[in-house]
Amino acid sequence: MATKLPPVDILIVGMGWTGGILAKELAQTGLKIAVLERGGNRSTQNDFGVPLIRDELRFSQRHDLMMDVSRETYTIRNKPSETALPMRRLGSFLPGEGVGGAGVHWNGVTWRWPDHELRIRTRYEERYGKNFIPADMPLQDWGITGAEIEPYYDKFEYTAGVSGKAGNLKGQIQPGGNPFEDPRARDYPNPALNQNYASKLFSKAATELGFHPYPRPTANASQPYTNPDGMKLGQCQYCGFCERFGCEANAKGSPHITVIPVALRNPNVELRTHCWATKVLKDSTGKKATGVAYVNMLTGEELEQPAELVILSAYGLSNVHLMLLSGIGKPYDADAQTGVIGKNYAYQGGSNVAMFFEGANFNPFIATGGWGASIDDFHTNWDFDRGKQGYIGGSYISVGGSHGRPITYRPVPPGTPPWGSAWKRATAKWYQGSMAIGASGMVLPNRYNALDLDPTYKNRFGQPLMRMTFDFKENEQKMNRHSAEVIGRIARAMNPTIMGTPTPRLTWNVVPYQSTHNTGGAIMGADPGNSALNKYLQSWDVPNVFVTGASAFPHNSGYNPTGPVGALAFWMADAIREKYLKNPRPLV
Amino acid sequence: MQSTRSRLVMLLAIAGSMAAHSATAAEDPVKGKTQFEQCVTCHSLAAGDNGVGPTLHGLFGRKSSAEEFNYSPAMRRVNVTWTPELLDTYLADPQGGAFRGNRMPFSGLPDAQARADLIAYLKQATK
Repeated sequence: MATKLPPVDILIVGMGWTGGILAKELAQTGLKIAVLERGGNRSTQNDFGVPLIRDELRFSQRHDLMMDVSRETYTIRNKPSETALPMRRLGSFLPGEGVGGAGVHWNGVTWRWPDHELRIRTRYEERYGKNFIPADMPLQDWGITGAEIEPYYDKFEYTAGVSGKAGNLKGQIQPGGNPFEDPRARDYPNPALNQNYASKLFSKAATELGFHPYPRPTANASQPYTNPDGMKLGQCQYCGFCERFGCEANAKGSPHITVIPVALRNPNVELRTHCWATKVLKDSTGKKATGVAYVNMLTGEELEQPAELVILSAYGLSNVHLMLLSGIGKPYDADAQTGVIGKNYAYQGGSNVAMFFEGANFNPFIATGGWGASIDDFHTNWDFDRGKQGYIGGSYISVGGSHGRPITYRPVPPGTPPWGSAWKRATAKWYQGSMAIGASGMVLPNRYNALDLDPTYKNRFGQPLMRMTFDFKENEQKMNRHSAEVIGRIARAMNPTIMGTPTPRLTWNVVPYQSTHNTGGAIMGADPGNSALNKYLQSWDVPNVFVTGASAFPHNSGYNPTGPVGALAFWMADAIREKYLKNPRPLV
Repeated sequence: MQSTRSRLVMLLAIAGSMAAHSATAAEDPVKGKTQFEQCVTCHSLAAGDNGVGPTLHGLFGRKSSAEEFNYSPAMRRVNVTWTPELLDTYLADPQGGAFRGNRMPFSGLPDAQARADLIAYLKQATK
């Protein structure tokens, strides 16, 4: 029998970026807030100091800061006719765990997704006609506009200390920035980071081909920075241990050095670590959440925390799983085309090409997480004619180079044997002389790409695992073939000694790492018939449950998701504080 | 251990000569305060306020192995007493010489004038 605790006003599940933002913003109300985090606590002092944090084997290969798949995992299949099997090792994507979540070990890349993505169905229908959208693609507007969310993008960028160069200030195109971005009220809080040699070569070639390169915006502070809450970030030291690692210099905008300590200064906010939420509890009507059941992972004790308002702010996939386990909203059925929870799961695709320059010194070990140069000519550029290519969406193309670490970074030209003395000679010869161009492609929803509960496999509490059904469809295959053609053109213009084959991703496999940009499953929208949440990320079915995260995205961009994830958390916090708490009700 | 000590002796000798050299340049603690903005993420000036790095309150005259902070093995091993001259050497290349392997994630201040300004500021601010 679970122990029932004294009630709190607001219960937050998950203490990463969005849990931290919500806790900080709602702490000002004076209400009593409890936050459950299934992993442990972390601090830069104790956990991310050098030399400990420079352990590539522990953090990069063995995923020390990430989800432990021996406790819970997902079952995976490419299509409904297959039997899904549990993912027993992390590979394709790396969900975070512990205080700060994946915000601790992200690279920092922070984008503003444009209005034509937020109103994607309307904009494509207007421009290309209704028939341009495939019948099996449930393409949906988000229920918000670019103008509505702009101030919240700004809030997140200033909180995380993003470094970048504005491309469009209040409608004025800025030289050197991304000319295709939506208008922004002000520039990034920090100037763009230094550019590496590979990015300079890429930018030169891209400019000569008529494209528009700009420095990629990222939450790696290019200078010492104090954010609006008074939290201090150090200057990035270009150490090359960013993605998969915590930052030793507090230079990466991360929740454990920004929003979380601000929230915890307030005595009304209580953080409980090693507490695993197993179910959102509801009253007899099924329309009201009464609290959350959870397990103390250190003692095994089962507890119930009653609350007036429940906010799910775990990793997006975990939010969807918890909603399915708790019956918050109707589960999606791909065959019957009914229900909403689990619908519109999406991922990211793209293409890449490796290049080798005899005698060049790219110094790959000098790196930050998100630096580099990008072009948006085939992505955020709305003038790019998708009609000619026959696909919806697009790809942004970049040269980055986030590390030159000894285990992972071993680029060798095509045709090199995979082991032995010839491989050793090649890896030594080309360590300094190689670089790559990558395209990150959008994934549009498909009726069969979805999440549901697995019929066979269970987690350590005996609850069904969540099942993921996903593959790239014809729309993405066309898009990725096109981006491979474009990056091939840029690569040839750079005139490398040896050039690999530009390779599009045409099918999805869970084994090699690709991207931790899993989206959808608990999507926002304007219609309760085809979305799980309203425009304020409030559950249509159980209005005292709000859900943050990329699980709310009705489709996936080529862009990294953290910009809108952070912005929507601030947007939701405003809606709760200014609208919901004054009169708890469905806000739409 | 012997090699560490002999390196340290060399390092201190170099520190002395550099300090003598830089003594001719005018030091500006106001500019030094600006330089110090690079340090504040990790270093406080308030007594007992350790963060990612130790507080700099009472820095000069303090041992690099003082018990109030969880110093790196490298910093404990060198076991020096901080002086303005030694700090100048350290900040020129924080991973140089006997300090190699310490935990401070900072690439250093290669500009001697910038170091002189910073140290002039710290002489006032760490008291």
